[in-house]
Amino acid sequence: MAIIKTNAIRRCVPATVVALVLLTAQADGVQAQEWEDWDVAGFAEAVNHWRDSDGPDGLVKQRNTLQIEWSRSRGPGLSVSGVLRGSYDSVYDFNDDEFGSGAGGSVTIENAGGTEIFGPERVPWGQSIINSPLPGLPGGGGFGFNLNQNPNEGLILLGDDLNTGTGGNFLPGFGGVQLAYPAQPCDDDKRGCIGSYLNKDEGDLKFPEFNDKLDFIRELYVDYEHAFESGRAFNLRVGRQQVIWGRTDLFRVLDVVNPVDYSRHNIYDELEDIRIPMGILNAEYRMGGVGAFDDLNFQGIWNFEPFRPNDLGQGGQPYSILQAGNFFRAFNNCWDNGCTVANFAPAPDGSPALLATDFGPNQIGIRDADVPDDWGDTAIGGRIEGVFKGVGFSLNALSYRAQLPTLSGRNIESDNPFTAEVESQDYPYLIAFDIKFPRLFMMGGSADFYVDPIKSAFRVEVTHTQDEEFANTLDPDLFSESDVMRWVLGWDRPTFIPFLNKTRSFLFSAQVFGQHILDHEKESGPIGPRGMPDFENNYIATLLINGFYKADRIQPRIITAYDTGAKAGVISPQFDWLLTDHWRLIAQGNFKWGEDDQQFDDNRTANPFPPFTCPPPSPGCDFNSPSLGLGGYEPLGRFQQGPIGMAQEENEYQLTIRYQF
Amino acid sequence: MNRLLTTFTALAVALAASLASAATPEDVENSFFPYRNWTPEFPGLQPGTVVNQSNVEQFKDVVDFMMYDHIKQGWYEIKVGETTSFDLHPNYVQATRDHLNKTTLGEKVGEINNFVAGRPFPEEPDINDPQAGLKIAWNYKYGYNWGDNAAIAPFYWKFRDLESGKIERTIKFNFHFLNFMHRVNQAPLPSVEPNPGQLFRGIYVIANEPFDIKNTQLLIHRYENDLKRDDAWLYLGFQRRVRRLPAGQITDSFLGSDLMIEDFEGYNGRISDMNWTFKGTQNVLLPFYNHNDMPLSDDHPEKDGYKFIDFGNQGGCFAQVTWQLRKAHVLESDPVDPNHPISKRVHYIDAQTYTIPRTLIYDRKGDFWKSWFICQAHPDHHLAKNKGTGVSIDDCFTMIDMQAKHCTTGQFKGQLDPEMNPQRLFRVQNMRTTGR
Repeated sequence: MAIIKTNAIRRCVPATVVALVLLTAQADGVQAQEWEDWDVAGFAEAVNHWRDSDGPDGLVKQRNTLQIEWSRSRGPGLSVSGVLRGSYDSVYDFNDDEFGSGAGGSVTIENAGGTEIFGPERVPWGQSIINSPLPGLPGGGGFGFNLNQNPNEGLILLGDDLNTGTGGNFLPGFGGVQLAYPAQPCDDDKRGCIGSYLNKDEGDLKFPEFNDKLDFIRELYVDYEHAFESGRAFNLRVGRQQVIWGRTDLFRVLDVVNPVDYSRHNIYDELEDIRIPMGILNAEYRMGGVGAFDDLNFQGIWNFEPFRPNDLGQGGQPYSILQAGNFFRAFNNCWDNGCTVANFAPAPDGSPALLATDFGPNQIGIRDADVPDDWGDTAIGGRIEGVFKGVGFSLNALSYRAQLPTLSGRNIESDNPFTAEVESQDYPYLIAFDIKFPRLFMMGGSADFYVDPIKSAFRVEVTHTQDEEFANTLDPDLFSESDVMRWVLGWDRPTFIPFLNKTRSFLFSAQVFGQHILDHEKESGPIGPRGMPDFENNYIATLLINGFYKADRIQPRIITAYDTGAKAGVISPQFDWLLTDHWRLIAQGNFKWGEDDQQFDDNRTANPFPPFTCPPPSPGCDFNSPSLGLGGYEPLGRFQQGPIGMAQEENEYQLTIRYQF
Repeated sequence: MNRLLTTFTALAVALAASLASAATPEDVENSFFPYRNWTPEFPGLQPGTVVNQSNVEQFKDVVDFMMYDHIKQGWYEIKVGETTSFDLHPNYVQATRDHLNKTTLGEKVGEINNFVAGRPFPEEPDINDPQAGLKIAWNYKYGYNWGDNAAIAPFYWKFRDLESGKIERTIKFNFHFLNFMHRVNQAPLPSVEPNPGQLFRGIYVIANEPFDIKNTQLLIHRYENDLKRDDAWLYLGFQRRVRRLPAGQITDSFLGSDLMIEDFEGYNGRISDMNWTFKGTQNVLLPFYNHNDMPLSDDHPEKDGYKFIDFGNQGGCFAQVTWQLRKAHVLESDPVDPNHPISKRVHYIDAQTYTIPRTLIYDRKGDFWKSWFICQAHPDHHLAKNKGTGVSIDDCFTMIDMQAKHCTTGQFKGQLDPEMNPQRLFRVQNMRTTGR
């Protein structure tokens, strides 16, 4: 943590110097200019979410926020702006049995053997039959873990709120794997808290902006503009800021300069509120009309603040996109302290049963998170933006670190649980990982245009990203690289619905998002599909219908989205009432639906420790080999379930009261 | 032989028509200085007269029917001021003289030939000329409304309940206007270059208050080619994104107000979007006055001491200004698009300035819908910087939705200051830079 602080300060130095130079130069150049009055605005709000779920539920958000936005100008060319935000989420006090220091409890793990020989259908955490010493294994093997260090307390079964059972449709009767994650804040329970990533104590969760990244200074930047006689202008914005690329809502196709905080409300908050502002040097040369272009501008950006990944929400938080934080915490605990995994090891007598298995430390799991923090990890990008014959367009390029984590099984020095030795070596196909954030290069573009005959405006974004990493059970490192194409087509049309409103149209806004993994790898294994769990092609459609009544002070709206691959959707009816210029009330629901058949190979049937893990039938048992394709819901089904499907049991009722000034 | 005769006849008719419509230098003088040797009169009406519920019958012929209705219901009283000349800038008048009779209408509505600058058709409109309405519309489009460029900063809009007078919402805007072409006064002349898109005019709007729409920006590009549809973009502060505006939103409520974007300045659309019919010329009471002589509001104090026009009477929807008896051309416009939310507008075009201080708006069914006033202030009795600019300054407005019993009022601080309207303000990218 100290290193991060040092680097942050070190990298802030050039930005501070640039800002001071701008301020000083401007001050020298325009002695007659005086600072104008402060422009201050903001709001205080209380956001309340109630969840009805089979998992942790009840009050899941009671966030009280004060946000102050200010700016001050000096003459036409210089200004300083900032946004301060502080919030307190009382859910960790009022509902701490679900999300705070009292969260979780003891768990039992599915043990598909289900006979007296192999134990009951469910076994308590840490008390499976696969626990050393095991007869027949060298030295009794290395299964099992210390329950004193890793007790059956404060745990929640991963995905238990989502599915009944563990899946396993590829081989009926065998069930899928399942893990348990520690659910309490990291100062109450350190298990599964990964170094500098997803390691928040209760104070961090209650007061998310008051941390060592100084997130309460949400934005702070200096703007300098030099206007040329020709009408052209050079603009420099330096400091912590949001740089927004692209033209679409909800989807982040081009809009990837800033990471985002999904722990705030999954994918359902405005990006404006969940982008994580970064220290960025943002230079623009605005040429205006030139040649055949009605408008032409060039932008260069350098994100100099230490890399920050998307905040996915850590295990035990109310919002954890894809429940990835829960999975990471469960799996990191496996590495650090050991864990019980459901339905994993074959029955020792060869009978068709898979038993709950107690793995020891350093055998499987997530070893560490490699969060980049070096000058070479900064992001650099550029954009050409303009208007050509009435069509708005942009061409964008960005070299950056992936903001979403990938799990890399490369060079993970693990121990073989089938021996008593401490081998510390890399085992191909072993479910042992580091979290990585690989460097990516994204190129893309966007356009908007109007089609008069159908009175509609269209928006398009397309990107091509090189070398993204995806889980892949066919690869010895359990991940592989692929280029990815993403696109969004958006459509906006105001439309009168006379029987609902004679004088004001409704806004219809629809979008279709598509993703194509160019080097997708998937095949039918002896038992089930194996390879990349992500769909080669997937599409998500959204529709917004917004009505306006009483001078737009009352706005009913419906937002809905459907993920075709996950076969899951969400509908959010909202009632937005601006009572006065100061008071605003928003009541909304967030209801999801979906099918629970998204399962994938979980790598149980791989052969990372030959000959011990040689799956029958087993030609070539002396060699490492990939999974046969036996799977279930966890852990890779989540990549097909998507962010909507993974939260499909989290139906919510939400009420926001805001005072703005 | 017959063909030759037919050709000669056609030429003779065309020549006669041309001579009949040709404007004279006297027409130019009469168009720009109608009150030099004449003052409109109406029996019993003189400066100081108050037209109210008790005497409105007497003055029914100098107010439109809806104004009559407002007064008859006791919603408003018109205080009559002296009719004064609002001389437009000499350069604009001279441009009209310089290019007199060079401009002709094209074959299609929306086409115009050889226009350079000034008032394209300064002759007195002829009720028998089927194209008289169209010519008035062109005179309005190429009028000296806001001059070559201007800013309204700040610009307060208030949403009011017509019956209770409750102010439901106050929005603080800045508006900026820039003519890219046909400029006559301020550099660069005659055009802003480069102008690859051949824009005629740009309108840029930014909302500064309240918080929920702070930084919302609107940019409209109107092309010189009237047949080309305007481009419009909206920057949503809460999204920080620029959205292209479908044309339907031009004819929809602007940010919940009683105005649509197409209502701005009286009419803010293409000539080719409407059918134009001249209905005659008459003397009517219109809200023209000297701003500094009006009882002004103490709301929204400005550092320089400027005060805004006050509002009062029914629902607080009516400007507390004096009205002048002025010569106006009555112009009817009905939309070409059958799906347009209105069926027609009736504009009262001030004959001297070609501004639109008064418009009556009818809904799609043909029922009366909205009553629209735009006050005009003399530039020599306004901000010191506006003196001598020769612009009839839009100074306040009221749009009353008679069906919803609701109104939106506007209080202007119009500034004829080219420094406030640099070209870069009228670019899409500026919206992204200006927004947070």
